[in-house]
Amino acid sequence: MTSIREEMWKTRGILFNFAVYDLKIRYRNSVLGVLWSFIEPLLLLAVLFVVFSTMFKFEIPNFPIYLLLGIVCYRFFQNGTTLALNSLTNRSSTITQIYFPRSIPGLSAGITSAIMLVFELMVLGIFMAAFQFIPTVTILLLPLVLALELLLIFGIALPLSVLNVKFKDTEFIWGVVLSAGFFLTPIFYQFDMLPEAIRNVLQFSPMVQIVTMAHHVVLYGMLPSVNTVLYAVGSISAITVIGYLIFRKYQAKIAEDM
Amino acid sequence: MSDYAVSVKNISKKFKLFHEKRDSIYESAAGFFQKKRHSEILQALDDVSFNVKHGEIFGIIGRNGDGKTTLLRIISKIYSPDSGSVDVKGRVIPVLSLGLGFHPELTAISNVYQSSILLGFKKEDISKRANDIIKFAELERFADTKIKNFSAGMQMRLAFATSVLVDPDILILDEVFAVGDINFQKKCFDTIMSFKKRGKAIIFVSHDMEPISKFCDTVMFLKEGKVGKIGSPEESIAAFQDYLAEHPEINPKGNISSSV
Repeated sequence: MTSIREEMWKTRGILFNFAVYDLKIRYRNSVLGVLWSFIEPLLLLAVLFVVFSTMFKFEIPNFPIYLLLGIVCYRFFQNGTTLALNSLTNRSSTITQIYFPRSIPGLSAGITSAIMLVFELMVLGIFMAAFQFIPTVTILLLPLVLALELLLIFGIALPLSVLNVKFKDTEFIWGVVLSAGFFLTPIFYQFDMLPEAIRNVLQFSPMVQIVTMAHHVVLYGMLPSVNTVLYAVGSISAITVIGYLIFRKYQAKIAEDM
Repeated sequence: MSDYAVSVKNISKKFKLFHEKRDSIYESAAGFFQKKRHSEILQALDDVSFNVKHGEIFGIIGRNGDGKTTLLRIISKIYSPDSGSVDVKGRVIPVLSLGLGFHPELTAISNVYQSSILLGFKKEDISKRANDIIKFAELERFADTKIKNFSAGMQMRLAFATSVLVDPDILILDEVFAVGDINFQKKCFDTIMSFKKRGKAIIFVSHDMEPISKFCDTVMFLKEGKVGKIGSPEESIAAFQDYLAEHPEINPKGNISSSV
């Protein structure tokens, strides 16, 4: 069945096109249009910042930036997987009328979320300027961390998109996973604050590794530890392979399940 | 290998039909907990084989629910068959249920791009033809209107214009003449005939026997998922009409046009 992989590779050029259409559909009928992709995270980050910085007084240096960086990383993951979840079900008429590689909607959801991420990073930059925060030079490694996160998003987007056609339950389960994940990821606390038993389990979460690496390179001027990198690359590769296998199993029949 | 444009060999396809008979509150509550659902196997297509030559217009007729659309979807790769094979030479464009996979929230022109890109055409090639497509569909005023505001006829015109102007090797048309005015129908027929002259294959499904008998070279009558008859339009239409006459109970009104 290499043909599915070949098909995915051949269509890589049109994913960006498709992602742009997705954004257009997302902001349809809104007065401000694409401006929302900038305003929405600005307002949202402001709200989360006010809530968490007044309610949780942890002794974390540069807490505003620490918090917002974590939120931006997590929202990238949340946006990508949520868009992927409904990417096929929202296109039932297209799927029952023409054949095209079924990987396109799920993967382009990842690209859409990457475009949204660019806007959120701009908002983060505004906050950095407002707090007169000067990031360390290792911030140049942040794109690598986010690229690894994009791979994770692809790996989860593909199976989510087909599973949600077959089992509508996927949507509800994934909503719960995302809410739990927000609290189980060191976004408004530090990982070391957790009891060791919990840390031992949570260290396998790829999002814990991603957010930790982002904190390291942006705030502490440190290279992520070899352990962290290995855990992250290992778990994300495993998830992506499993995700691809699930996708391959269900993709041929999705038009019939619509 | 054969020099057929489309070669369908022994295609079979089953569907599982689920029935949920929950008449009382108790039953729906019980049904919620026991995941057992009544299901039934529907043999949509049973060992169907046929060939379409280059430059041939191939008609398919049959009652509703006898497998015509399923067959077209299998040829277009939308469904995969349980057994059998489909061999297609060149690029296929299907116009099924009056659309080409259009998204209601995108404008006409965006949909032309999206559908043809998804079908594997290059963006630059479509850019060259986009204006012609809109002009052919007679939708110049509506190029930037969202598809959801289109009538069925407008949507079909756009789908047909896109499908012929991207120049596929094989064209599949399902009931495209059910909507649209006389002028546009004539334009469609002219285009189909020019496709035929250029050696392209056309598979054509209709409930209206007039265009079937007028344009098709060969007609297949699909009877309850099986091949009822493959032959000249007259032979196949006669077989279909005989079948309907023998089974008045399944088709009391007769969905066949009386003009033949």
